[in-house]
Amino acid sequence: MTRNWPHIRHIALALFCAAGAIYIVAPLAIVVLNSFSSTAYNVFPPEGYSLRWYENLAQQGAFLGAAVRSVILATLATAIALVIGTLSAYALVKYRLRGRDIVKAFLMAPVVLPSIVLGVALFIFFVRVGIAYSYPGLLLTHVLVVTPFVIAITAAGFSNFDWSTEEAAMDLGAGPIRTFFRVVLPQIRAGVLTAGLFAWITSFDQVETTLFLVRPGDNTLPIEMFLYLQKWQDPTIAALSSLLILLAVAIVIVMSIAGRNRTPDGLVMQGKEPSK
Amino acid sequence: MTFLFVLPIGAFLEYSVYSYERGRLVEDFTFKTYLLFLTDPYYHAIIFDTLKMAAITSFVSLIIGYPLAYGLWRCRWPALQRWYGLIIFSPILVSVVVRSYGWSVLLSDQGAVNWTLMKLGVIREPLELVYNLTGVVISLCHVFLPLVVFPIFSSLVRIDPALREAAMDLGAGWWTTFRRVIFPQSLPGVVSALQISFTLALGALVTPAVLGGGRVLVLPLQVYRATSDINWPVASVGGLVLLVMALITVALCNRLLAYSES
Repeated sequence: MTRNWPHIRHIALALFCAAGAIYIVAPLAIVVLNSFSSTAYNVFPPEGYSLRWYENLAQQGAFLGAAVRSVILATLATAIALVIGTLSAYALVKYRLRGRDIVKAFLMAPVVLPSIVLGVALFIFFVRVGIAYSYPGLLLTHVLVVTPFVIAITAAGFSNFDWSTEEAAMDLGAGPIRTFFRVVLPQIRAGVLTAGLFAWITSFDQVETTLFLVRPGDNTLPIEMFLYLQKWQDPTIAALSSLLILLAVAIVIVMSIAGRNRTPDGLVMQGKEPSK
Repeated sequence: MTFLFVLPIGAFLEYSVYSYERGRLVEDFTFKTYLLFLTDPYYHAIIFDTLKMAAITSFVSLIIGYPLAYGLWRCRWPALQRWYGLIIFSPILVSVVVRSYGWSVLLSDQGAVNWTLMKLGVIREPLELVYNLTGVVISLCHVFLPLVVFPIFSSLVRIDPALREAAMDLGAGWWTTFRRVIFPQSLPGVVSALQISFTLALGALVTPAVLGGGRVLVLPLQVYRATSDINWPVASVGGLVLLVMALITVALCNRLLAYSES
């Protein structure tokens, strides 16, 4: 096994992984390149470079309004889902509840229920009960979509939880609420943060579930973009997409700094043997 | 919270037994819309195309995703492993709309893929990669790749390294070791990856809409159009068909999972 030159199959695997990385990055890289194109049609390589699509984007008030709406909606939905989700996960792990199976079914819902089905069903239901196009209905939908993820991720965060610390705090006279905030929450902080980030991104990216719940003119960002793409294909959308990619890159950088001493995703990596 | 799932499905069931005639909803009890789905070849074709797209997409995702997960697992430099993990994971952070748009630019007749292939002399005429099933599948695989790689990776990580070494020490070649030791133990991850990609592909709307260019008509698109046209009975029955297909997939995968873990 102590050959100087790696075996051919290792080279093949490495090449495949490199090709995989290109496959993953290519559509995002092309969007950024295309946003600086000087022509309205898509051609590779671009015939010239300009900033006109960014200028055009700045003049499109609809996108800015949609972006603000999306940020507010995602933040509110994440906050509510974090409270409900963290408490449910805590209760779920701590007590053997009678409704466990129902909660488990609820956790599977995002996989079982196609989001377009949920979106249309909720729309028809909201029309039926008379709250179609209302903000509470929209917010409720987003909370509904992201809560299962929050429960699943925070529940996983409890796997390393030391229950004796909770008992100790209670024995030393801390009330249940104080114990939760001072002893339980700090220990599961990483899981809650991951869940919050994931919930925020998921909510921000909702198309199918939200498509019919927003009033025309009050669209969220992904829906505004989706509808724009159905009509036009000019690089204005590339300029906007580049800004969103920049946001994603910023998130990745923050995550990689925050998790410097941890492996790609802390959740699946638990129990991994230290590499030799 | 569960009621919020049950009530809308109730509304769905209600509208599914109504019908739609001459641009109007008729609120009388009838199984007409169900019959339409059962008998009309138009709907049969849509359902078949949806299943075909989901099957091809999850198969291709697994073919690409498994070696990537394996490579990530076997990578010996922790820094490279961490960065590669981030590269695979990061597309999740970018909207599906953006990624589908990126593919529509990349795969167009004058796009980078055709340009590269023509420069390399592989092809003379640009390949038709957008506004058909090929483009939709390429793009959907990209969207699902992180969701396919990570379940497989996490099941690979759980394998006891001693097993692999034991197999190698006992004289098994790398292929035998992989086939008899590694692969069987990674099956639970493969099955959950299959489950995720197949069910998500069934419900995909944005990618087929952007890259299908109206020529790839799948059930979610049909449900979307029917809802916009206030043809709620068709939207309801179409949605229920999707739901049933997803439920069957999940049930089958759970059986497979139980089988693969034994």
